Amino acid sequence: MKKVRIASGSAFWGDMLEPAIELAKYGNADYIGFDHLAELTLSILQRMKAKNPSAGYIPDIKTWMKAILPITYKSGTKLITNAGGANPEAAAEEVAKIAKDLGCIGLKIGVVAGDDISPMLDDISAKGIKLKNLDTGEEDIDRIRDKIVAANAYTGANEIKKCLEEGADVVICGRVSDNALYVGPLMHEFGWDYSDKYVDKIGAAVTIGHIIECSCCVTGGMSNMWKVSKDPWKIGFPIAEVDENGDAVITKPEGSGGIVNEWTVKEHLVYEVHDPGNYIMPDGIGDFTSLKIKEIGTDRVRVSGIKGKPRPETLKVCIGYRDGFIGEGLIMFPWPDAFAKAQWSEKWMRKRFKLLGLKPDELRIDYIGENMLHDIIATLPDTDSQPNEAGLRVVARTKTRAEADMVRREASHLWTAGPVGSSFGAPFNPRPVISLWPTLVPREEVKPYYFIKEVTA
Amino acid sequence: MNIDTQIKELAFARSGDKGDISNIGLLAKNAECYEIMKKEITSERIKNHFGKMVKGKVNIYEMPNTNALQIVMHNALGGGATKTLRYDQTGKSMGQALLKMHVPVKEDALERAKKAEADIYKKYSDPDWGSKL
Repeated sequence: MKKVRIASGSAFWGDMLEPAIELAKYGNADYIGFDHLAELTLSILQRMKAKNPSAGYIPDIKTWMKAILPITYKSGTKLITNAGGANPEAAAEEVAKIAKDLGCIGLKIGVVAGDDISPMLDDISAKGIKLKNLDTGEEDIDRIRDKIVAANAYTGANEIKKCLEEGADVVICGRVSDNALYVGPLMHEFGWDYSDKYVDKIGAAVTIGHIIECSCCVTGGMSNMWKVSKDPWKIGFPIAEVDENGDAVITKPEGSGGIVNEWTVKEHLVYEVHDPGNYIMPDGIGDFTSLKIKEIGTDRVRVSGIKGKPRPETLKVCIGYRDGFIGEGLIMFPWPDAFAKAQWSEKWMRKRFKLLGLKPDELRIDYIGENMLHDIIATLPDTDSQPNEAGLRVVARTKTRAEADMVRREASHLWTAGPVGSSFGAPFNPRPVISLWPTLVPREEVKPYYFIKEVTA
Repeated sequence: MNIDTQIKELAFARSGDKGDISNIGLLAKNAECYEIMKKEITSERIKNHFGKMVKGKVNIYEMPNTNALQIVMHNALGGGATKTLRYDQTGKSMGQALLKMHVPVKEDALERAKKAEADIYKKYSDPDWGSKL
């Protein structure tokens, strides 16, 4: 039976580079996918592109390609990435220059774009399509219309597949779904398409893609297995050995750190999923309640019997819009009476804001190390308890940058006006808030396209 | 005899985000724990546990093939990663917070759950664990 080895080389903008190089050198992978985009990322990249038309992609792609292309140009491993972000064409230009410098002549770069629907938003609304906010149920998109900075559809694997059919060695995409980076090569290699015949196969591809797409989050990272993860500082990135029948073995490069066992696979199976019987992706729907998970060796877990459902008629769109600012400050208090000093400072801060007339949309004060993560579920210590140190975090969302800056400034005033020993680091700058408006559009409203660019001598 | 027990004794948790939705996967440590979790972990109890932290509805999905529960909590992250004032913008600690919730568990079932966890960590402490499958 034909087998294809797909691997995950990145889970976010800023992920580790060495495990990706390890995959390229020793992973014996046919394809490595690189996801660099989170829900907010496109808004950041669109702003970069607005300032500079040749920017707007993930700048890391340059470092990654310089390190990995010399290996995969020889080995034949193909690379698929969404680092194109808001500007896949410009990213491809840059990668072509790098490839030429490295002597990768004849390298074929596929470019997938067309996910940016911000120019079409008004036309879509004019057709009577309600761009309802999936989180809040709100339908009045006009309320935020002039604040929108990005609107990108999560597109599927079809154009990736086409690039591969035309011999692409590297495929650089915009906001395709993270998942499509893995579904594309499997569709290409096994000849799967969107017809009824392959519904379970695409469901399997969607599911396997989901299991590996967050790099080390299935190989011992973010895991309950942290205590038994081997050499976790050398954690390896995952590989799926996929059979033509839609089963797969999840593993990692031999000799790498971390752990792959039934628990790490289950942990990732449930990660950022809603209805597990209907994991909806642009290429199909994975049913995670049907499959079987079985350990077959050290760091080898078989996933089998995956079922699927046909792809949805709508695509998810993430709209980002400007929505005020956040100002934040942090201060630490030493023994003795560290916690009492923190409580005193909370009161001081609230009185100061009142005195200055600051009216934030929301204000939050956390006791670091006590309730900053678990909020009301955490029990606070007694005022007269004697921890070695205590900390206060003050954060507020405001309408203007000036108000956000006031929050930061007041927190820093505790440096001099606070209790004896109050300690501080570098202050944070106020940051703009981009809120998200997730919505659905009919599939036919989005027109993804692709082209191939060859590196010539 | 029933013992008031934190879910920590019965399950592992992993949580994440999509927008303002927080989801928690609860992986039962054995099949018996899964049956207890299905019965005792309800949307109402979860809403009550998280109080003002979770403002929307809570859905629970069963995954009998993996002895897991998928818990989906709406309007649960203070507005979502990009606008929340929480330090934990993406709700990674929400799963751990749920492990603090109490449910009644029979004494002998609790003993078996504890043994199941000990066995899991013992098994994988052996670097060659795969050869003994």
